[in-house]
This record gives sequence, structure tokens and C-alpha cells, in this order.
Amino acid sequence: MTPNIDPIIHIDEELCTGCRRCAAVCPVDAIIGEAGTPQKIDAHRCVVCGQCVQTCAAYAAESEPALTSRAEKLRQRGQLSSVREPLFAAYSTGHALELKEALADPKRYKVVQCAPVIRVSLAEEFGLPFGTLTPGKMAAALRLLNFDRVYDTNFGADVTIMEEGSELIGRVMSGERLPMFTSCCPAWVKHAETAAPHVLDHLSSCKSPMQMVGALVKTYSAELDGVAPADILSVAVMPCTCKKFEAGRDEMNVDGLREVDMVITTRELAQLIKDKGIDFMNLPDEPFDSPLGKYSGAGTIFGATGGVMEAAIRTGYELVTHESIPNLQLDFIRGDEGIRTATVQIGDLELKVAIVAGLKYVSSILEQVSDGTCPYHFIEVMACPEGCVSGGGQPKLLLETQRKAAYQARKSSIYRHDSNQKVRKSHENPAIIKLYKDFLGEPLGHTSHHLLHTKFFSRSVKGELK
Amino acid sequence: MKKEQPNSFVIAEAGKCIGCKACELACFAVHNRDNGVAAAVGTVTTPVIPRLYVIRTDSFTMPVQCRHCENAPCAGVCPVQAIVQEEGAITIDEDRCIGCKACAIACPFGAISLYKAYSNGQEHKQPYLRERLDGRLERKTRVIAYKCDLCHDITNSGNIASGEIAAAAAVNNSGTPSEGGGEPMPACVSVCPEQALKLVSQSLGASRSRKAAGLRL
Ligand code: SF4
Ligand code: SF4
Ligand code: SF4
Ligand code: SF4
Repeated sequence: MTPNIDPIIHIDEELCTGCRRCAAVCPVDAIIGEAGTPQKIDAHRCVVCGQCVQTCAAYAAESEPALTSRAEKLRQRGQLSSVREPLFAAYSTGHALELKEALADPKRYKVVQCAPVIRVSLAEEFGLPFGTLTPGKMAAALRLLNFDRVYDTNFGADVTIMEEGSELIGRVMSGERLPMFTSCCPAWVKHAETAAPHVLDHLSSCKSPMQMVGALVKTYSAELDGVAPADILSVAVMPCTCKKFEAGRDEMNVDGLREVDMVITTRELAQLIKDKGIDFMNLPDEPFDSPLGKYSGAGTIFGATGGVMEAAIRTGYELVTHESIPNLQLDFIRGDEGIRTATVQIGDLELKVAIVAGLKYVSSILEQVSDGTCPYHFIEVMACPEGCVSGGGQPKLLLETQRKAAYQARKSSIYRHDSNQKVRKSHENPAIIKLYKDFLGEPLGHTSHHLLHTKFFSRSVKGELK
Repeated sequence: MKKEQPNSFVIAEAGKCIGCKACELACFAVHNRDNGVAAAVGTVTTPVIPRLYVIRTDSFTMPVQCRHCENAPCAGVCPVQAIVQEEGAITIDEDRCIGCKACAIACPFGAISLYKAYSNGQEHKQPYLRERLDGRLERKTRVIAYKCDLCHDITNSGNIASGEIAAAAAVNNSGTPSEGGGEPMPACVSVCPEQALKLVSQSLGASRSRKAAGLRL
């Protein structure tokens, strides 16, 4: 896998009509070109969010025989030859082809994790209504695809809350490096590194839930399963095109092994399922594997904007006050695109929080941080308009008019899934308690630091010249 | 006698169109629910066959589609009477169409195209005509004429089942009520991000052009 070199997001010059609708949704003005001519992507600025991929409607029509053949285009795009859907001008590099080959290798121990929102959107690729919840069918399909272990990024979300929650409490108590920004959205992280390196100190040092699971797969669970970490193929199914970039970052390794070897999108998983001829609609529900497949409701809501914040408050409140949080459902945090702010009373502390959904809204907050006038303690930033539910690797809609309804349905499905969980707080997840008892010790402890935390690097043009 | 209402039609303003093809995609989507096409691109298993075509010249881009002519020349030349006037629109009965191309030649707007027919997401094979493929005789896929039907079949069984099209149309109707006075909005008109497409319904068209003429006086 070479995502470090591959810019992941591309525009096919043969197909691009130069309508510039992609430029209108790009939060960082990375799309350049004149109207009516094929566009180019400035890979330096681009945060690989894939919103342009979601928007582009220019497809390869049957009636244009001068085009490069479909088979060749699929190959160039890293897509399976069985893919039948139309090919659009803006696209992301696929890894399904590579994964299909790797899955056939009997020598590797194949482990997969799925982001919270895959289970609320995968079914749309098979024609089911928006937001249909299918965690059980998804687990069953992954086993049929030949994975030896079906784990869950939600578990990593619970670990993130333990680490990030403790980090936040520590910073608030000491008054250091506030505000603290979340660091689980790789597109936001890349943007901070590129456009605002002065705030990098303010980012939580936590790796994203995906990388945390990746790190634990090659250590904790490898030990439990008695497999050599080097034999493990660690795969993640993500709603996000930027996760491909994140997994390829040099620093995302444990003792020289990549934490996540390959990332595929929701759409690519659906393509693999179809390629194998699996009857997804009629699959019986199957559970995830233990221990990295056990999650709380808090881990689940990471997929919606405000979810990380809500999950962190559920746990942070109880860590600080040692009392049960009076209300589990923090509706004031839930919403959509833009900036939302709130003050949460936690014991004696008035915690000021902000939630940024859509990267284009972050600049005012970044300015406040530079000026030293930023009033918040904790800021969640997600690059996509409504968080991961609207990610660039999610099912792409044929009708723009349905976008709102699709995001709404996916989001309410996530919240419903949370409210139906027996355990809704990360620190009460028995698998998390056991992980800390048997393996990690304490949040922010030595092992945690080694495996679960990272550093960020300036990518400002000067920094990049090396 | 009932006052004759001319047919409605959809027309584009070239100055507004940016050539994004969202209208083509939407047109295809709502006409292919019976071919398994749901909301996601991933459910598409057939080629995209729209019923309007975004054309480009050096100076402008805009979609071209059927004008629903009052004395439709396409219908006049159809040897099997597959083209009829129906509820204010000129429509093609795709089951009757024999793919003779007469309509495509007769249409002054190039609004008709011939493509393979699909049913249940598979090419629709003919009962009798065979073609030689790699030395074997195989039943030939039917080829039929496609053109704009003003989304007449927007409520076909597939669309009703998915419930999605009705919802999308409703949102649009309440948000920006159709100028035609409550007529359901064709899919292309609803999705155009530039509002370059308009459903011209007659009362509107006439009063508008008369008003415009009046202003010029
Ligand atoms: S990539 Fe797609 S959306 Fe962007 S300008 Fe080209 S055709 Fe339009
Ligand atoms: S991936 Fe995101 S940041 Fe990159 S060009 Fe597309 S919309 Fe812009
Ligand atoms: S297809 Fe052509 S000829 Fe027939 S009604 Fe439409 S515009 Fe007129
Ligand atoms: S959707 Fe509108 S802007 Fe896009 S090609 Fe069609 S008419 Fe033009």
C-alpha cells in the first residue's frame, strides 16, 4: 500500500466537465481550474475528505466511445473488475482489488475493524432505505469474505474516550495547552498541519480510534490469539477517504509494523460483497469477535458530529465527579453543519465546549486560538458537513435532493443504536475495563503512550521543503 | 368543449447551466427503479441511460430534451403507434417500440435516442431475433427509443416502494413551489443546482411571453 505517494483523490480529465461543483463543496479551496475545463487538485491543500467525490455527477456515458475503456479505468482506479456502477470524474483510489488478493492468502491472519457508521449506511448499497442498521449482517459478510477476526472501531472509540478524556481533565486542571482539539478526524488533522501548524500543540495527542484498534490488533489481540504480529493483515472499513491517508502516515506503526495495512471505504466493502456473490439481504446476524468487538453506546455515536464530545462528557463527568451523570442524552450537542457551543457543569467546573462540523467553519476558531481569545476548553472538529455519516467514502447518492434525508436517517440510526445499548459509557464497557487491567494499565500510562498516542508535524509549505 | 391546454415541457437556460450532468443522472435514477436502482450509486447495474442530454459547444452548455410538440412529428412517423399523447405529454410505449429509429430521425430536437432495453437490471432479450456472437446464435437484446416523459412514471411501482422519490419531490414542491401550479416537478428540474431548468407549463409560458412583449412596447 502506498498512500503516502498516492494523493488518493483524483479527477479524471477525460470525464470532468469543469462544472466546479466540487470546488463549491471543497472546504479548503483545493480544486483549481477554469470553469468548463478539467479541474486539478492541489494535493498539498487537499485534506482528502472526499466531498468532491460525493458531489461530482459527471459520469462516463455509454455514448462516448472515445473514452478509455471501462476495464482500464477500473484498473487505474484500483477497483474490482466486477464493479458495474457508473464511473465519475472525481474519485478516490480504491484498495478493494488489492484487498481481494490479500484475503485469498492463507498464510496471513486477516483482521478487520469497521467504523461506527458503516453499519448504518452499508445497506443503502443494496437498495435498503437510508440509515438501515445492519451490524449483524455486516459481521457475517466480513466472515464470508475470509476475515479471521471481525473487530470494531467502536471499541477504539471507547479507548479514545478513556485516553482523551483523561488528557482533557489533565489539561483543564493544569490549565495547559487549552483549548484542546479532538484528533480523530484525519482530514482535520491534515488541515491543521497544513494551514494552522501553530495549533498543533492544542490537538489531543490521541491517535484516532482506527489507529488505536490497529495498534491493539498487532499487540494485545495478537498475544491473545497467539499469532505473530508480522503475519497479521490489519484492515479497516471506513466512511472516509482520508483514513487511507492516515493509515499510510509514517508514524502510524508499532515497532516497525503498520497499525492498519489497508483501508477500504463503505462503498468498496459493498463492492467486495457483491463481487463474492454474497446475498447480503438474507444474511443471518452474527456477532463481532471479542474482545476488540465489544463496544458501548458512546463508541457508536462517534460517527455523528458532536458524538465524540458527547461520549467524552459522559465519561469525563463521572471521572471528575465520581457521580453518575444525570442525563445520558446530551441533546444540546446534537446538530448539523456549522459551529455549536455549550457550557457543561461538571462538579465545580464550567466546561466550555464547541463543536465544529464542516472544515470551512473552523477558521474563526483558529483565529481565536492565535489571538488567545478562544473561550473554549474542548473543541471537536470534523471535516465533513455532518461528521462521518457524511464522509467521502459513504454511499454516493444519485439525487442531490436526497442528501439531507440520507444524513438525517443515518444519524438517527446511530443514536437509536446507542440508546439500545446496555452499556452506554466507555468506562463501563467490560472489555475496556479488562484491557486496562490486563494490558494497558492506566490511561496515559507508559503502554498507552507507546501505542495510542502520536505527534503531529507541520506541513506548511516551508516545513515540507525539508 | 374543454379548452385545449398545450403540453408542458422542460427547458434550460443556457446562461445558467454549468454542465454538471446532475439532471441526466437524476433522470436515469427515477426511471429505473424497476431495474433495481435505489438511492445509492452502488445499486446501479445497467448503463446510465438518461432521457435528456447535456450538450456542449464552445460557448455554452445546456441539456436538450423533448418539447412535447403539439403535433408531434415523432408520433406521425411511428409505424406501430407506440408514441401517444397522454395527460399533457408525448410518451413512448416502450413495450410496443420496435426500434425502427423513425422517430429519432423525425424529431427536430434530437430528443430521442435508441439504447438497449433493460428489465430487472438485465438486458431484455428478444423472443425471435438472434445474432451471431462468437460463432453462436444468441437472442438479441431489444433496442428501444428513449425520451423525456416529464417524469410521468415518477410514481411507478419501484418509486412508490422506495418512497424516496415522492419524498424528494414533496420537499422540493414545498420549498420552491412549481411554477406550473402544483404539478409534480420532473426530477431534472428538482436536482439542478443552478436552477437552470424550468417546467414550462402553458398558462405560465403564454402569460410570461405576453407580459414580456407588453413591456417591450
Ligand atoms: S470533477 Fe466533477 S464536479 Fe468537479 S468540475 Fe469536474 S465534473 Fe464538475
Ligand atoms: S477531497 Fe476534500 S479537500 Fe480534497 S479536493 Fe476534494 S473536497 Fe477538497
Ligand atoms: S420527441 Fe421530438 S418530435 Fe417527438 S414530441 Fe418530443 S420534441 Fe417533438
Ligand atoms: S443539472 Fe442543471 S446545471 Fe447541471 S447540467 Fe443539468 S441543467 Fe445544467
